[in-house]
Amino acid sequence: MSDSNSTVRWTLNGTEVENEAGMTIMEAAKVHGVDIPQFCYHPGLSIAGNCRICMVESNRSPKPVISCSERIAEGLEIKTQSEVAVDARNSVMEFQLINHPLDCPVCDKAGECVLQDHSYEHGPDRSRFVEDKNIRHTKELGPTIDIWGNRCIVCTRCVRFCDEISGTGELCVVERGDRSVVDVFPGVPIDNSLAGNTVDICPVGALISSDFKYEARVWNMDKTSSVCGGCSRGCNVEVETLDGFVKRLTPRENLDVNDWWMCDHGRYGWRHLYADSRLEGAQHDGQAVSPTGTSGALHQLLSSSSSTAFLVDPFMTCEELHLVRSIANSLGGSTIAGWLPAAGTEENFPGGFKISADKHPNRKGAEHVLGGDLFTTSADQLKSALSNGSIDTLVAFVGGDGFEGAGGEWNDLISKAGKRIVFATQQGSWCEGADLVIPATAPLEKEGVWVNEDDRAQRTRSCRSLTSNHFPSELVVLQELQVHMEQRNRPLSAAGIFRELSEASDAFSGHSHSSLGDSGSPLSQRPAAMSSEGGQS
Amino acid sequence: MTVTETLAFSDEAMKKYEWLLSRYPTRKAALLPTLRIAESEFGELGVPQMKYVADLMEIPPATVFGVVTFYTHYRRAGVGKYHLQVCSTLSCALRGSGDVVSRVTERLGIGVGETSECGLFTLSKVECLGSCDTAPVIQCNDDYHEGLSLEDVDALIEQLRQEAGKGGA
Ligand code: SF4
Ligand code: SF4
Ligand code: FES
Ligand code: FES
Repeated sequence: MSDSNSTVRWTLNGTEVENEAGMTIMEAAKVHGVDIPQFCYHPGLSIAGNCRICMVESNRSPKPVISCSERIAEGLEIKTQSEVAVDARNSVMEFQLINHPLDCPVCDKAGECVLQDHSYEHGPDRSRFVEDKNIRHTKELGPTIDIWGNRCIVCTRCVRFCDEISGTGELCVVERGDRSVVDVFPGVPIDNSLAGNTVDICPVGALISSDFKYEARVWNMDKTSSVCGGCSRGCNVEVETLDGFVKRLTPRENLDVNDWWMCDHGRYGWRHLYADSRLEGAQHDGQAVSPTGTSGALHQLLSSSSSTAFLVDPFMTCEELHLVRSIANSLGGSTIAGWLPAAGTEENFPGGFKISADKHPNRKGAEHVLGGDLFTTSADQLKSALSNGSIDTLVAFVGGDGFEGAGGEWNDLISKAGKRIVFATQQGSWCEGADLVIPATAPLEKEGVWVNEDDRAQRTRSCRSLTSNHFPSELVVLQELQVHMEQRNRPLSAAGIFRELSEASDAFSGHSHSSLGDSGSPLSQRPAAMSSEGGQS
Repeated sequence: MTVTETLAFSDEAMKKYEWLLSRYPTRKAALLPTLRIAESEFGELGVPQMKYVADLMEIPPATVFGVVTFYTHYRRAGVGKYHLQVCSTLSCALRGSGDVVSRVTERLGIGVGETSECGLFTLSKVECLGSCDTAPVIQCNDDYHEGLSLEDVDALIEQLRQEAGKGGA
């Protein structure tokens, strides 16, 4: 900014300002707190300049210019609130609304619709249009996407997304003039792993997710800023719940991880939270254990054990793993190993988005907390110890879909332990014959830190509520166990446990929940001392 | 030509297409003229024809679909052997193109945009053919028929019928 060569002085609404050369008027104005309305512009896509809502008055042009594509220049004078600018915007709004239906009461986009917002601010309060509105198609464009053509303002964001980001090119604008609308080629539906993003970026309710259709009014939902557990990319997401139940996931902007996008596997993966196979309560020898009695039963089993081993999974948070480590240490002579579910396939997209083949959100974190050979040498050692019957008590954490596929061999192995305690998200053969089965939280239900494949620590937050499920999380059960073991006076929050971890481990030192904030940080980038204060404990 | 199972450009069309590619900066830029070739090869630009062009040019079929539907001058449905395009813009309208349309309708029993049952004739109304000095004008396929009286229209239809009878429709 200080380099005068790359700095441009221009005037915004009568005030002289400076910005980096090459910025568009819209971007530069935003830096100075002036938001200019936009429909077709999206920071992640090429500039189309077709909607014209962003027009502003310029001293360099007899007519208003579009601020999303015009760049700032020395001596440029821009007015965003002059009569010319306001008039231009109002006229564009009037045109946009000519054929737009009065659908807001039944439209899923209402409440987060750009057209609705701008209409409120810049639209006329009545219509001068007395002719009939035209009708365009309402239909399925693909397995997850419907279009309500009457609402389409033909901004082409969705078309550009499929051309530039997913590279799949399924969408186009057909016809022209006021008949134009988004469509797919007959017989070639929109069906790619990033398709759901088109619904997010559609500024109106034209593209609708068939998964979310009529599920909730957006303003009634609660939002939790979390991280997707679908793969080791760790896309930042917003989990939206209604009365405690997840209704949809949407991506949260994070230019270091997922830009503005997320994949459909992650987006629709939340349904596993409510699968019939979820465990609802703890069971001791087939008898139900009360939520408050779980840790006591666990303590009883462990205190009579001569040799204990822990088998952890890569869905567990760093905090949970840290607790496992402390417990194992105080039991003395216990082994810890990890198991990995099957890898998937990597998908790369022309827009730079990547779905990782590594389907384990915290493999890296687990290696930092428990050692780099957790899933390799340690796992092999535990396997042989189990097969020759030298493990008296095994505590196994079986998250994800359990020991299906790659983890299959563990099914037989774990039954060779003298006693078996299983923390599981889903019922399955791994629970059969176990002495104690304890329900475990799934991704999106965990409170804590995951480390993604790029060694970036990010906070995943729980969307759990009392209505949707009520068993205590592992974070609580493990700490209660420590209380029984007289290792701890009282349970702490995830932030408190993370502080213990960062004090005990070099990899995490200097970081805290509050310093990681909403968008996380590379582990190697230690925050300045001031912000390293831990969260509440 | 009716749609066959396997669509393909003739050798000649393919040569023309390859020449086109050498004239445009990108493959996609040659889409408009390539569609013209496809139109004359296949007679129409329906779904299979658009798909053929998309595959040939290695672009998404949706891109072709968008372009074909944007322009009104591509033939999305097949036309008869003779495509009668009656100019309806000002000069022709003043010189009685409305009557010309009615006359064709009367003689052939087809409305604007329709094809006769025998498959020989399609009637369309088009905008100025650039031959205002000889209004009213019909463009039949690539040929102009100018300064038409209603009798001339009858004669034209008769002549085309005979031609078709000889050549085999
Ligand atoms: S469907 Fe939505 S994103 Fe696509 S062009 Fe229409 S308004 Fe824009
Ligand atoms: S890419 Fe991975 S982290 Fe991102 S949404 Fe998909 S599964 Fe989730
Ligand atoms: S936002 Fe500038 S023209 Fe659409
Ligand atoms: S008006 Fe018919 S040719 Fe010009």
